[in-house]
Amino acid sequence: MTNAEQSEHTDDLAVTTAPLLEISGLAKAFNGVPALRGVDLAVRPGEVHGLLGANGSGKSTLIKILAGFHDADGGRVTVHGTSVQSPFGARGLRDHGLGFVHQDLGLASEASVVEHVALDGAGQARGGRRVDWKAERLRVRSLLERFEIDVDADAKIDTLTPVQRAMVAVVRAVGSQELTADGARKGQILILDEPTVFLPRHEVALLFRLLRRLRDQGDAVLLVSHDLDEILDVTDRVTVFRNGELAGTRETAGSTRDDLVQLILGASNEHVPRGAAIVRDDRAPLLSARGITGTRIRDLDLDLFAGEVVGVTGLAGSGFEELPDLFYGSTQASAGTVTVAGETVRKVKPSASMKQGVVLIPADRKAQGGAAALNLLENMSLPFLAQRAKGFRIGWSELETQAQATCERLNVLPPNPRAEFGHLSGGNQQKALLGKWLDTAPQVMLLNEPTQGVDIGARREIFKLIRSAVAEGMTVLCATSDYEQLVEMADRVVVISDGTIQSEISGDDITKDALASAVYAEEAS
Amino acid sequence: MSVIDKTTPNDAGSPSPRSARRTKVAEPERFALLGVWLVLIIAFSVIVPETFPTSANVSNMLGSQAVLLILALGLIIPLRAGDYDLSVAATLNLGAIVVAVLNVQQGWNIWMAVVAALVACTLVGVVNGLIITVFDIDPFIVTLGVSTVVQGLVYLISGSVTVSGIDRDLSDAVLTQPAFSIPVDFYYAVGLCVVVWYVFEHTAFGQRLLFTGQSHDVARLNGVNVAGLRRTSLIASAFIAGLAGVVFAGTTASADPVSGASFLLPAFAACFLGSTVLKIGRFNPWGTLIAVYFLVTGITGLQLMGAQQYVQQLFYGGALVIAVVMSKLVRARGERRRRALAATAV
Repeated sequence: MTNAEQSEHTDDLAVTTAPLLEISGLAKAFNGVPALRGVDLAVRPGEVHGLLGANGSGKSTLIKILAGFHDADGGRVTVHGTSVQSPFGARGLRDHGLGFVHQDLGLASEASVVEHVALDGAGQARGGRRVDWKAERLRVRSLLERFEIDVDADAKIDTLTPVQRAMVAVVRAVGSQELTADGARKGQILILDEPTVFLPRHEVALLFRLLRRLRDQGDAVLLVSHDLDEILDVTDRVTVFRNGELAGTRETAGSTRDDLVQLILGASNEHVPRGAAIVRDDRAPLLSARGITGTRIRDLDLDLFAGEVVGVTGLAGSGFEELPDLFYGSTQASAGTVTVAGETVRKVKPSASMKQGVVLIPADRKAQGGAAALNLLENMSLPFLAQRAKGFRIGWSELETQAQATCERLNVLPPNPRAEFGHLSGGNQQKALLGKWLDTAPQVMLLNEPTQGVDIGARREIFKLIRSAVAEGMTVLCATSDYEQLVEMADRVVVISDGTIQSEISGDDITKDALASAVYAEEAS
Repeated sequence: MSVIDKTTPNDAGSPSPRSARRTKVAEPERFALLGVWLVLIIAFSVIVPETFPTSANVSNMLGSQAVLLILALGLIIPLRAGDYDLSVAATLNLGAIVVAVLNVQQGWNIWMAVVAALVACTLVGVVNGLIITVFDIDPFIVTLGVSTVVQGLVYLISGSVTVSGIDRDLSDAVLTQPAFSIPVDFYYAVGLCVVVWYVFEHTAFGQRLLFTGQSHDVARLNGVNVAGLRRTSLIASAFIAGLAGVVFAGTTASADPVSGASFLLPAFAACFLGSTVLKIGRFNPWGTLIAVYFLVTGITGLQLMGAQQYVQQLFYGGALVIAVVMSKLVRARGERRRRALAATAV
């Protein structure tokens, strides 16, 4: 089915109601890399509109442009029939009648519901304006009542359940729009960016009831989500982005999960040969975890054998992204043991892990991977300080020779150990970090989204480096939501859902389709 | 790794390891403060030639600032790890008063009194370090509170009066003039400067401090015991503040419960001003030394020109604010240049 056919199919609704929010040809590139290549999207009054797409498809870029974090390079946005030009300024399109609920909700745990709503309502008002607490409280109470939310207006945020917090965030967005709306404007536009990721599943229904209520009073809701079930459950129409382009818009009624998966992934990718791995599962595993429990991970067992790359994936919030940190000890597991080289540890610590040959490359390079203001040499020498220190003295010249050699071997640009870490591109930073850890001759390498923000060329090089290190007998655990990467790199992929292993795919069965259907699979309930 | 070897950048005309090391970025900003200092010295020598450029004045300037320099050298240790220690001046007072009270009022041997003072001061650092790391509280507020508590103890111990008549041995140990008629406490301070420099630049501890100051997460993920390191740095700064207190007691042969407090702002000013010299954006001992003597040059010169006491406060306060602004500006400028250089290398 082509896009044209599809939009014809949905046109009969469009003639009756003009969209409240219409986006056309919106484009945005970061450092010359396009994130949005001219997308169209229309949200009508009285509908919940889903926005789907894989990681890097441009969903979040779109939301961030509307919210004023980024300025668009081109395209047009029409809100309530008025055309608005980018840049939208620091408050984004809020003043034009858009309300936002971001994934982290933006609530301060110590403040009360009333304070949150009042703060948002104050908007651009002068700082000296007196806050009429009595009126604010009345307004918030009536809002909560209108949407049948059972929350005390004076309750502090940290006394609320996660779903109550999400609903407060929604009500806050609604409330602030009602304040700014002049009488003529009808219907509000609410944008929710993955609001359910951190919510317990059974409570999501409460939030959805609120969304339906908004829809029934003629408002427009744009719901960004990863979760196909949610989208199928609550939306009226759904738009899918793929690689920064519009993949299509569908009526939800009549669409199936497979239709949407197809739309998200595009044409099924041909399989990329990975090269045969020699997995030594005849020997004892290099790392074996038993009964590991973290914030989301529950009672998980996993063995990593020499010579294999194990991928871990799942939906955002399923807990897969926790695993590297739990194994390394940078997040303390609340239960369970990790056995490395025959030694069982209950409380894993980073320094002890390093000594045992377990290393971690975190997802957040800037904040956790390296110190941006220090140079490459300093960043790359940190794990060697103790072992290279002769007596009391650091052998800087040896360290520099080693860093220089590593930079050149891994093709880090510029190959100058004195270059400041923060000035390197993402790919070069990642190569330098990989080189640093590979120089420690690790047994187990834990990766968290290793190619996030890394350009295609460096990505290939990183894959090759990891594969060749594994061929020499190392084991790699790679947590990522990038299926393509898993297809290219992993020997086996563990799919996590709700904190536990849901399925395992291995060898040639690892394809983007197989991964997507495993990840989006209905949860066993 | 054969795949990677093919793209070894040597054939792309990139600099070899040796030459890369030599193509360090020239940063004239690194020496800006030294230049200003030189200008100040020349200017004062011209304006007040009969008092400023005399050996008596020079040795007075060098000797009188040794206490401040020692205190600042202790303070840069937690600063390098990213933690403010506001309790150093009160700790200095504690050190001085313990020496005086034990030696003069209790009749202890002077060296026993010195050891006791150093132990007492180190305990302040232990308390700071434990509260900050165990409860994970902002050191700014913890050391502010501890500082006030310690100051209260100082009043309690001293009975709020000046205790004078400390054993001459201590004064001799800090005031004799072994060379160039400069008091020996100046040489102690320079010696400490060498020690701190060595620890910062050539030991794993110094590098770990640096990373802890840049990012707790990066340090932790690289196996650094961040909490232990912060504790150690606060204990070190308290111990060195105690040393400063002992030297202070020696230079005046007495101790009073208040005068140490006036060192707090100058010490911070010196540390921050020092971070704009030699190693921009990093707290470094030699920069701190330069900053201390830059500040005293300015103040002494102005006083010799007839300025009143208040000039000291204007100068120290102004220097602290200007230093912080300068380090920001200088850093931004250097960053632009290095960024451009990194770009051309790609």
